[in-house]
Amino acid sequence: MYELDMLLQGFQTLLSQPFALLLSVVGVALGIVIGALPGLTATMGVAILLPFTFGMDPLSGLLMICGVFFGGIYGGSITAILLKIPGTPAAAATAMDGFELTKKGQAGIALGTATFSSFLGGTISVFVLIFLAPVLASFALEFSASESFALAVFGLSIIASISGKSVVKGLIAGFLGLLIATVGLDPMAGFPRYTGGYTELFSVPFIPVMIGLFAAAEAFKAMEDPAFRSGAAAMLSRIIPPWATYRRMLGTVGRSSVLGIIIGMIPGAGADIAAFVAYNEAKRFSKTPENYGKGELAAVAACESGANGCTGGALLTMLTLGIPGDAVTAVMLGALTLQGLQPGPLLFREHADLVFTLFAGMLVCYVLMLVIGLGSMRMMGRILQMPKSVLTPVILALCIVGTYAINNSMFDIGIMLAAGVIGYFMQKWDFPASPVVLALIMGPMAEANFRRALSLSSGSYDFLYNRPITAVLLLVAACTLLLPLLRQLKKSSAKSEAARGPASQGALAGESAGGTE
Amino acid sequence: MSHAPTQGSGTAGMSRLDRLANLIIAVIVIAVAIAAITATSDFPSTALATDVGPARFPIIYSVALIVLCGILIVNTLRKGAAASAPESAGDRAGRLASRVNVALGIGMTTLCLIGMAYVGYAIATTLYLSSVMWLMGQRSRLLNPLIAVAATAIIYVTFSTGLQVPLPVGSLFE
Repeated sequence: MYELDMLLQGFQTLLSQPFALLLSVVGVALGIVIGALPGLTATMGVAILLPFTFGMDPLSGLLMICGVFFGGIYGGSITAILLKIPGTPAAAATAMDGFELTKKGQAGIALGTATFSSFLGGTISVFVLIFLAPVLASFALEFSASESFALAVFGLSIIASISGKSVVKGLIAGFLGLLIATVGLDPMAGFPRYTGGYTELFSVPFIPVMIGLFAAAEAFKAMEDPAFRSGAAAMLSRIIPPWATYRRMLGTVGRSSVLGIIIGMIPGAGADIAAFVAYNEAKRFSKTPENYGKGELAAVAACESGANGCTGGALLTMLTLGIPGDAVTAVMLGALTLQGLQPGPLLFREHADLVFTLFAGMLVCYVLMLVIGLGSMRMMGRILQMPKSVLTPVILALCIVGTYAINNSMFDIGIMLAAGVIGYFMQKWDFPASPVVLALIMGPMAEANFRRALSLSSGSYDFLYNRPITAVLLLVAACTLLLPLLRQLKKSSAKSEAARGPASQGALAGESAGGTE
Repeated sequence: MSHAPTQGSGTAGMSRLDRLANLIIAVIVIAVAIAAITATSDFPSTALATDVGPARFPIIYSVALIVLCGILIVNTLRKGAAASAPESAGDRAGRLASRVNVALGIGMTTLCLIGMAYVGYAIATTLYLSSVMWLMGQRSRLLNPLIAVAATAIIYVTFSTGLQVPLPVGSLFE
């Protein structure tokens, strides 16, 4: 088999280049740190590193960038699980159950599961990239504006299943997020909407809002709770999940990885969308969906394998078609071009040696991520042993600096603080924050693609049911949105009937007693 | 600590505070949605015949919000207020202290944000960390400033030196 031979040859070439290997270690370690810090995303990490790679040979430079990319996506889960600070947007999905597991004293096993699942998701996606790239690349071309709109709607339908105790409150949070997502420049005409004249609001300040809603709100809540304030130190328990437990999650990991790869291939959709979609599908297939949101290990596995599966998918379209799947690969596209490599089908023919050595290097990066991730976990776990009275202020300081780092803007810190206060009250009255974040990710994608699709179809709404992928995705979205609503309706009517049952029985007994009197 | 009602509990009541909070939040969100719809009147109509224009999506979202908040209000009003156990003076004082703490924490964070623009990251963050630690029960005159300086320095080195992210110097020192 050509690909396998070339891959083995790639490994041989890679082993003869220790500098490239060393730079992959540096890249992965740096990526994990960047991913773990709030405000700094994998995109930013790759962009920061890009100028440093100019003077390097193509393999070393590209491997270092890949290391930052992979490490950055994974790193976000560490602070999401330990502190409920999603280092990256994708980790917002991981934070939902990951932090609940930490509260239950299972931070170690949650981190271990996240690391293994990230490794598996990423590795599967690289193998798909190696062996199925030409086949899948043509599928990616099927995705036009209408399919992207349907995918965004499907993503939004997840709101119903991440709403927690009340679907109505979840939907209110989701629609509020969608309304906030319209702040900024109109995607078609560029008209500023609800900006109040502030140029800072020309694009939705998504990351400050996310940091505020998750991390700052949690810190404010910690100030309220006297038991938490006095803070008994938490310990990091077992890290590597028992095989029997993890084996049960392998199906979820496999499914989420495939979903991640598919979503990664779609231009404009990234690890954040993949993580939320993987979460929803894991919940749908789970025998215990009621545990989701309360600290379910499989949820962490799904989010992480989905997010990391996205990396291979995004690289696939970037390398084979020259279309970046997400923001990180868009920056990487620039790196490739600067190195004198033109992405596209010819890249595989004209630079096959380099491409397959790069693939081998990507697999090595994922192994390094697993080793560095597991190796540094005890050290990371020491964060939990800090007294809460020190940890909470440090979290808030990190939120402030991390938010500032996005655009070097004090305005963004103000947005983060406002979101933190709103998030605190939302938490207090059981309005979930995750739907807001999800809506901020999906809202602009839905609107822009709907309007683009409408223009492409000359103002006709036929594209909603004429295109098979669009129709299927919209149908699945409708089911995803309506099923939890129907389930809750059924549950509440059953409960009210049960409550009415004894009462009516009591009334009947009273009537008969009255009758005998 | 959740004050929210248990959903789907049929006709089971909720505390007076929970009901009030639900109603206030719903009314605020409705007001925001109405304001958003009103603001769309200033949006220009689209030049493209095939486009729905910049106002369509905000209006759809706002209308959905109004409907959902209406449902929340109806659901809340349908549930009667549950009789709550009498609260002791100690509990009341504790609850008040918690609220004051949160308000102070938010206030300190706001002050840090304002202060950072004038005195820069280093001074503002050191003072902020020290005082929030005090607020959270870590009350050592020696340790608090020491930890604050150390944490500020670590964050500074990580972001400014390690990741080349310039942190605010402050208008007084520029």
